[in-house]
Amino acid sequence: MKSSISHIKDSLRDKKISVEELYDEFLIKAKSSKTNSFNLLLDKENNILSIKESQKRYENGNPLPLDGIPLGIKDLFCTKGIRTTASSKILSNFTPNYESFVTQKLLDDGSIFIGKNNCDEFAMGSSNETSFFGPVKNPWKNKNVPTDDLVPGGSSGGSAAAVAEGTCVASMGTDTGGSIRQPASLCGIVGLKPTFGSCSRWGIVAFASSLDQAGPLTNSVEDAALILNSINKHDFNDTTSSNHVREDYSNGINDKLDQKIKIGIPSDYLKDVSGDILSQIENAKKALIKHNVEFEDVEFKTTEYALSTYYILAPAEASSNLARYDGIRFGVREDGKSLDDIYLNSRTKGFGNEVTRRILIGAYVLSAGYYDAYYRKAQKVRRLIKDDFQRIFNDVDFILTPTTPNEAFKIGNKLDPISMYKNDIYTVPTSLAGLPGISIPSGLSTNGLPLGIQFIGNYFEEKKLLQIAALAEKELNFNEQ
Amino acid sequence: MSDIDIKRISYLAKLKLPHEKEEFYANSLKDIIKWVDNLKKIDTSEIEPLHNVTEKTVSIRTDEINKSNSVDDVLSNAPERAQNFFKVPKVVE
Repeated sequence: MKSSISHIKDSLRDKKISVEELYDEFLIKAKSSKTNSFNLLLDKENNILSIKESQKRYENGNPLPLDGIPLGIKDLFCTKGIRTTASSKILSNFTPNYESFVTQKLLDDGSIFIGKNNCDEFAMGSSNETSFFGPVKNPWKNKNVPTDDLVPGGSSGGSAAAVAEGTCVASMGTDTGGSIRQPASLCGIVGLKPTFGSCSRWGIVAFASSLDQAGPLTNSVEDAALILNSINKHDFNDTTSSNHVREDYSNGINDKLDQKIKIGIPSDYLKDVSGDILSQIENAKKALIKHNVEFEDVEFKTTEYALSTYYILAPAEASSNLARYDGIRFGVREDGKSLDDIYLNSRTKGFGNEVTRRILIGAYVLSAGYYDAYYRKAQKVRRLIKDDFQRIFNDVDFILTPTTPNEAFKIGNKLDPISMYKNDIYTVPTSLAGLPGISIPSGLSTNGLPLGIQFIGNYFEEKKLLQIAALAEKELNFNEQ
Repeated sequence: MSDIDIKRISYLAKLKLPHEKEEFYANSLKDIIKWVDNLKKIDTSEIEPLHNVTEKTVSIRTDEINKSNSVDDVLSNAPERAQNFFKVPKVVE
């Protein structure tokens, strides 16, 4: 069952299904799923009050924007009274006493959480293989090797797999270097990373604070807009939360474009890509050119530096953010004779390989003697990357790129970290610049696996970005393929 | 790039790498640092570091008391507690 939020709301309003029946339907499916996309599922008893209240609002004719909609929540959002682990051993016993800003807004709008989605440990990964709770399986199969289990992408891999297989209507993810867009692409769904500063980071387990951003993984662009309406709000508890005026992102999303739109395609992004990937861009071009859209080749000067910049800055921020896990105040404690032994043992045994590696990179680039050469240097290059995007946005309204350089790959296939990091080559530059990006499914590879394209917009122009993505979605008609 | 002193780095990160894994992480770090070294090609002498892409959107709230967490809330996840304190091994003689 893959219905849009507005379609489900119609069914609830017309009494074709009750909120409780809807919840049951998704929960039964989620419980029987073999994808490992949930770290925790919430039985109906946990949500019975919310279910009843939601049903009452439908009966009174005043449902809230997301009333009764079963959502998955990446296990990186603190949820009050519900275990929140960041898919790490060190937080495997942690139950927050507060609700993250974003999930509170979703609850305020009537949605009901069905469970916590698996993800890479502390959101560090591009394949969901670093989770303490095991890898997530992509619901899609390579038609030529159907016995292989494939990765869903990461880090919001559980969110993407769950939405793709229909065990929740939509899921909340987070994106630091591509963690919403890349898994959305590999699972054939929509993933939106809003402008940095749009959705509060308060209550999200921190990875890299200058990059982390919450956003939805959904079956359609319209669903992404509806969820963005709920979560895109200013918050004083996040000092980087922007106080710009928000719009209604779903209203008019399918309106005809009334002015000429210019889209830039970065030729440097397409240099070594496969025919499969190239044809996604060609198809999108063909589909949009009839709608008052013109295309222009653009070229970045900084693309080759983006991944290096990211893999200095993100680990540096992570090593600092993850210093709080010490076995004293919360999380798993490993015994030791002295206080220092407790710190060392808790951290060493509590973090997995990839998280350990990134903490070490971060500690190195921030250490005396290397700070200027690596960390400060990367911050300077980050400005050049931001300026590079601004130069291109002086001339175009959007930038169109592939979302990923490849289709979903086999679990266990990519072992060395650098080739894994290269998975985010098209999403990382946008993250460094803080710009909004959306991935929509655009077609199938020759192996029958979903591929995605990414539209990048200018700062806080999510409304326009969602409109162009909705148009491309309609024209490419992925779900009917 | 100088050699990576993995013992020093792991000490800074408060990690006690098992002996047999030290080489694995040292090599991994070496590869990654070599990979990111391409940034040295760019002249950034005139460029200011960018700390935060939304540096222009600062807002100040009114200073009001907001009681959101109780002592019990804060201590509820502590691995060990004693009364209203986190409990740790003795640190002073």
